Amino acid sequence: MIQPLNHHPAFELRDVAVRYPRAAALDGVSVTINPGERVGFVGPSGAGKTTLLRILNGTVRATAGSVRADGDLIHTLSPAQLRALRGRIGFVHQDLSLVPNLRVIQNVLTGRLGSRSLLGSVKSMLFTSRGEAIDIHAILDRVGIAEKLYERTDRLSGGQQQRVAIARALYQRPVALLADEPVSSVDPARAKDTVALLTDIAQSERLTLCMSLHNLELARAHFPRLIGLRRGRIVFDRPTGDIKDDEFKELYRLDKSELLADAPVNGNGNGHGHGHSADADAPVIAPMVARVIAPIAAPLDAGGPA
Amino acid sequence: MTRSLRWLGSRRLVLLAIALAGAWAAIYLQLAPADALPGEGGLRLLGKLIAAAFTPAVTYEAPDVPDGAAPFLVTVAKAMWTTLVFAAAAASLSTVLGLFLGFFASTAWWADDPIGGSSAVRRVLRSTVAPIIYSVTRLLIALMRSVHELMWAVLFLAAIGLTPLAAVIAIAIPYTGTLAKVFSEVIDEVPRDAALALRGSGASPVQVYLFALLPRAAPDVIAYALYRFECALRSSAIVGFFGITTLGYYIKQSFENAQYHEVWTYLYGLLILVVVLDAWSGAIRRRLVR
Repeated sequence: MIQPLNHHPAFELRDVAVRYPRAAALDGVSVTINPGERVGFVGPSGAGKTTLLRILNGTVRATAGSVRADGDLIHTLSPAQLRALRGRIGFVHQDLSLVPNLRVIQNVLTGRLGSRSLLGSVKSMLFTSRGEAIDIHAILDRVGIAEKLYERTDRLSGGQQQRVAIARALYQRPVALLADEPVSSVDPARAKDTVALLTDIAQSERLTLCMSLHNLELARAHFPRLIGLRRGRIVFDRPTGDIKDDEFKELYRLDKSELLADAPVNGNGNGHGHGHSADADAPVIAPMVARVIAPIAAPLDAGGPA
Repeated sequence: MTRSLRWLGSRRLVLLAIALAGAWAAIYLQLAPADALPGEGGLRLLGKLIAAAFTPAVTYEAPDVPDGAAPFLVTVAKAMWTTLVFAAAAASLSTVLGLFLGFFASTAWWADDPIGGSSAVRRVLRSTVAPIIYSVTRLLIALMRSVHELMWAVLFLAAIGLTPLAAVIAIAIPYTGTLAKVFSEVIDEVPRDAALALRGSGASPVQVYLFALLPRAAPDVIAYALYRFECALRSSAIVGFFGITTLGYYIKQSFENAQYHEVWTYLYGLLILVVVLDAWSGAIRRRLVR
């Protein structure tokens, strides 16, 4: 077992809830994650995995309960302290969130903006020092794309761009790494490599690693501890070996009453899509757009000569 | 009945409305097709002008050229150079100011920011002061571009006389307004994913603007700035009508002296400037999207 580096848990959530006007993304969530732990978040889409990850780096605010990161209560931090905290937490996004027309080295450099002054960051972006380039080359080497240092990011393959996103998070010199479905957009073989890479790095650098994953097989293979989420609540939180197959089945069970209740509102049957904001937007906005467009489009359709 | 109503779909209604508005405007302005035909004197002038287009001047048309005068083509080259310099000055000034005002005229620096710290003061600033700065900036750039550069030139002429600086500022004011508006909209349309990711790793809003939003908007921003440079060439030539020695100054002079061959030489000079600039900016754009 890895010993905690200090006596604070890396993250400590007590009865955390995130409620939006129409639905709750998280409800009554209490979790303690120790430094150096590797935890997988599993559950159906809209279960609250992304919201939970965003709670951890302070980009989503809990509407109830308390969140501590590295011992500090997040909601009491000043803007400067919050920036510093975010600088210590690397986040690998599902959609990568890179700037496509910058070079790889520049995208990686943006990882450390949080610890730089405005002038210092302008200087490092325009006139990257040799030392910075060597640092970044070493990180790119670690993730397997060292030769792409000066390539334009949008000329890389999807898998390679993913490595850039990981390198950007590592360049922050983080104490914790959060990854939101980092492999949902790459093929299965790459997905396995990427998850293995992230868990290897976390192990060797003694980083706390929290990752949400659709792929149960990968989650069970690479994470000693799994947290199952369903409809914003924790269903289980145990060492991976102790979780029974039935519990996983139950986690992903389709809830018929849920589908029926929500179908008329959402119009597309994606009933449990009230999770984090990105997921929740799609089913809510789509019918709104349809309602606005339909009356405009309809006369056009009907207008043609019969 | 229902069939005829359906035939009047919204698209046809709009087209019909446009056609009716056009007809009404033509009647209101008392447009008569006959007015488009020149009179006899006009026809003769038109003939001369068209003929001159094929034989642009290479020397002065006037028989009595003062002794010390530079050769005609040197005068043309000088006028082209002056036009280019005024355009470059106005375009670069308005690009810098446009980027500056475009920042405040975009929502990117204040809207949908992930929660900041707990500071209540900041939240109040973001929800009140930021939208006010945004609205005032947008009003300002609307005012700047709602007055044409020639109107600004007239105003400056009346106020301080048309010095070279005044000419540059007269062009730069509406250009700044247009550039700021387009820049702010290009930047607001850039996907915000990278911006939110960088905010999440501790970057400040200004850093996010500089390193996530601006680079992503850069190809469009540069392409539009180059296009406005091309427009500035024409504006720079035109302010010559007020006495700045750009191409317009000489065009007006030659035209008033009925030296139409000279007029065409100056016009071809302007054409060459525009074509060369267009080729150059096209090469830059191709490199940006490569």
